[in-house]
Amino acid sequence: MLNKVEHADVIDAKGLIRQHGQGNAAIKAINGVDLTIKAGEMVALMGPSGSGKSTLMQILGLLDRPSQGEYFLAGKNVSRLKKGEAASLRGRRIGFVFQGIHLLARLSAIRNVELPMVYARFSSTERRQRAEASLARVGLSALAGRRPNQLSGGQAQRIAIARAVAPGPELLLADEPTGALDRASGRDVLALFQELNQELGLTIVIVTHDPLVGQHAQRIVELEDGRIIADRPVLDRIVAHGTPEVGV
Amino acid sequence: MNAFTIALDSIWSHRLRSALTALGIVIGVFAVVTLISLGSGVRSYVSGQFKVFGATLITVSPATPGQGKPGHPRFGPGSQNVPSSLTLGDAQAISRLHSNTIARVAPVAVIPAPMGTAPGATSGLSVIGTSAAYFPAEQLKFTGGRFNGSGVVLGSKAAVALFGHQRHLEGRTVYLGKTALTVSGVLKASTGITSSANNMAFVPVTMGLHVVGLQNISEILVQASSDQSVNQAVSAVTGVMNHRHPIRNFSVTKDTAFLTTINKTLSTITTFLSGLAAISLLVGGIGIMNIMLVTVTERFREIGIRKALGARDGDILVQFLAESVLLSLLGGAIGVGLSAIASHVIGKVAGFPAGLTVGSVGLAIGFSLGVGIVFGVLPALRASRLMPAEALRTE
Ligand SMILES: Nc1ncnc2c1ncn2[C@@H]1O[C@H](COP(=O)(O)OP(=O)(O)OP(=O)(O)O)[C@@H](O)[C@H]1O
Ligand SMILES: [Mg+2]
Repeated sequence: MLNKVEHADVIDAKGLIRQHGQGNAAIKAINGVDLTIKAGEMVALMGPSGSGKSTLMQILGLLDRPSQGEYFLAGKNVSRLKKGEAASLRGRRIGFVFQGIHLLARLSAIRNVELPMVYARFSSTERRQRAEASLARVGLSALAGRRPNQLSGGQAQRIAIARAVAPGPELLLADEPTGALDRASGRDVLALFQELNQELGLTIVIVTHDPLVGQHAQRIVELEDGRIIADRPVLDRIVAHGTPEVGV
Repeated sequence: MNAFTIALDSIWSHRLRSALTALGIVIGVFAVVTLISLGSGVRSYVSGQFKVFGATLITVSPATPGQGKPGHPRFGPGSQNVPSSLTLGDAQAISRLHSNTIARVAPVAVIPAPMGTAPGATSGLSVIGTSAAYFPAEQLKFTGGRFNGSGVVLGSKAAVALFGHQRHLEGRTVYLGKTALTVSGVLKASTGITSSANNMAFVPVTMGLHVVGLQNISEILVQASSDQSVNQAVSAVTGVMNHRHPIRNFSVTKDTAFLTTINKTLSTITTFLSGLAAISLLVGGIGIMNIMLVTVTERFREIGIRKALGARDGDILVQFLAESVLLSLLGGAIGVGLSAIASHVIGKVAGFPAGLTVGSVGLAIGFSLGVGIVFGVLPALRASRLMPAEALRTE
């Protein structure tokens, strides 16, 4: 499922700047960020509102392009990729989990999980197999046929995680994945992240401003005004145990 | 799960919006297809009517010298505003040509006398004086009896008007003015442009003219022996008539000339109306574009998610284009269906065959496909060019 190169940097960014607008009105959402993240790391990206967390995550996820700076994804320079190339890298190598429900309302759970593989041109049998395996991994095989509006917030977020990991990416980017969830569902999601990180060696970056969420990571990178102001390992890491309950 | 199933899904889940969007196309296609089928229905009906006569009929009518444009013979014998100068002698002269281009010659005279079942009684029937050749030339058939040169032949409605029925009337007595005559035959009901014969009574021309004391006849009906010999027959007839009427107070008309004029007029009208209908199709297209543009804005987030999941610009473009094309085709199909019903109903009521033509359906499909593509491209392009980060930002 994963072609992991031990100890290689999955993310290697130097001098990233993302500027909105020109001249006096220019806002630098990201203002000179250097960041390396090794394969298999689980990193929390923290900071106050407006500090540039989402902007950085979108650049790392190839949803946006830096105005300046260099970005290497798994050793490949992706700073100035064509839109089509960026799309296909996103589809195959990066998985996204967002705050709130980002499932497509008109598709059943399993068709949502299949969607990135439709765009990545997987064969329909491989699509189905991977989607089923991925739903089993998040413990929601029983809900494969449900529409998003028939799922709880926690279930929907776990379906979104199943969708993100189904194509076998090496990097999982999550923007406030627990932001819209209650405490228990939040814990389930974090437990799932830790499990994916440990069992698959998946590199995970979680954007959050909840310190408790940060404590589940191995490393916390702190942003303020578009710059990294702290980068430290988590000493008293919380390990969320047990498999999340299967809600039907 | 390709672009078209995604599009179908999206159309279905927004049924009301989709229906309203497609309405413009439905109306446009309906109007275009119905007008074209009615137009071509009328045209084929009219030419079909003329086909019955093999386009072999030639009419000699009175005309003011130099003016030469009579009313059309098929819509009633003779031209009312020109005092007739034609005589039985003219008809006999044409008969005496014995030309092999001419099959039949029949004089036609309007007899202004009342016909009824009692002396002097009126019944509102038109009375025509003619000869036996008239009936085969006009494709009129008998249910019983024949035109025997002394008795009266009644049209089907004329028979009912006089006797209340059409059967076994041979030998009954009718009166032309005060003259008693014997019924010698009854015609089958005829439809189309000869249906006026149903209300007519036919008497031998010499006797009819004698009763009212007239000399002149209203027109002369000449039937050419074949479609090919019509022009030769016309010049033969014109030759005799020129000799007998050096001041040229007559005119010779072919039915085909009239057919051409009708066809031209009908196709001009059809084209004009179809043009108007095409404008409504255009309006429908703009409607689709508007709604699709709104749809794109509404669906920023969906576009963002799809792009985050690896959708290329092309994937999104195809999805939105598929949606507008499907919507237009759906509208087009409904329009064609409604138009099939409407043309059928109108055709039934108006009494001519108006079916959909392959051409008009093809045109409608082409039109709606074109509308879908042309007016779908702009919204689809707008959707596909969106940066994923931008699209996701809108919550
Ligand atoms: N398209 C844009 N145009 C102008 N300014 C922008 C744009 N996008 C982001 N910004 C600005 O960039 C800064 C960083 O925004 P970003 O969304 O990355 O913050 P964040 O750390 O994710 O905040 P939050 O915790 O509230 O989500 C903000 O000041 C924001 O106003
Ligand atoms: Mg944010």
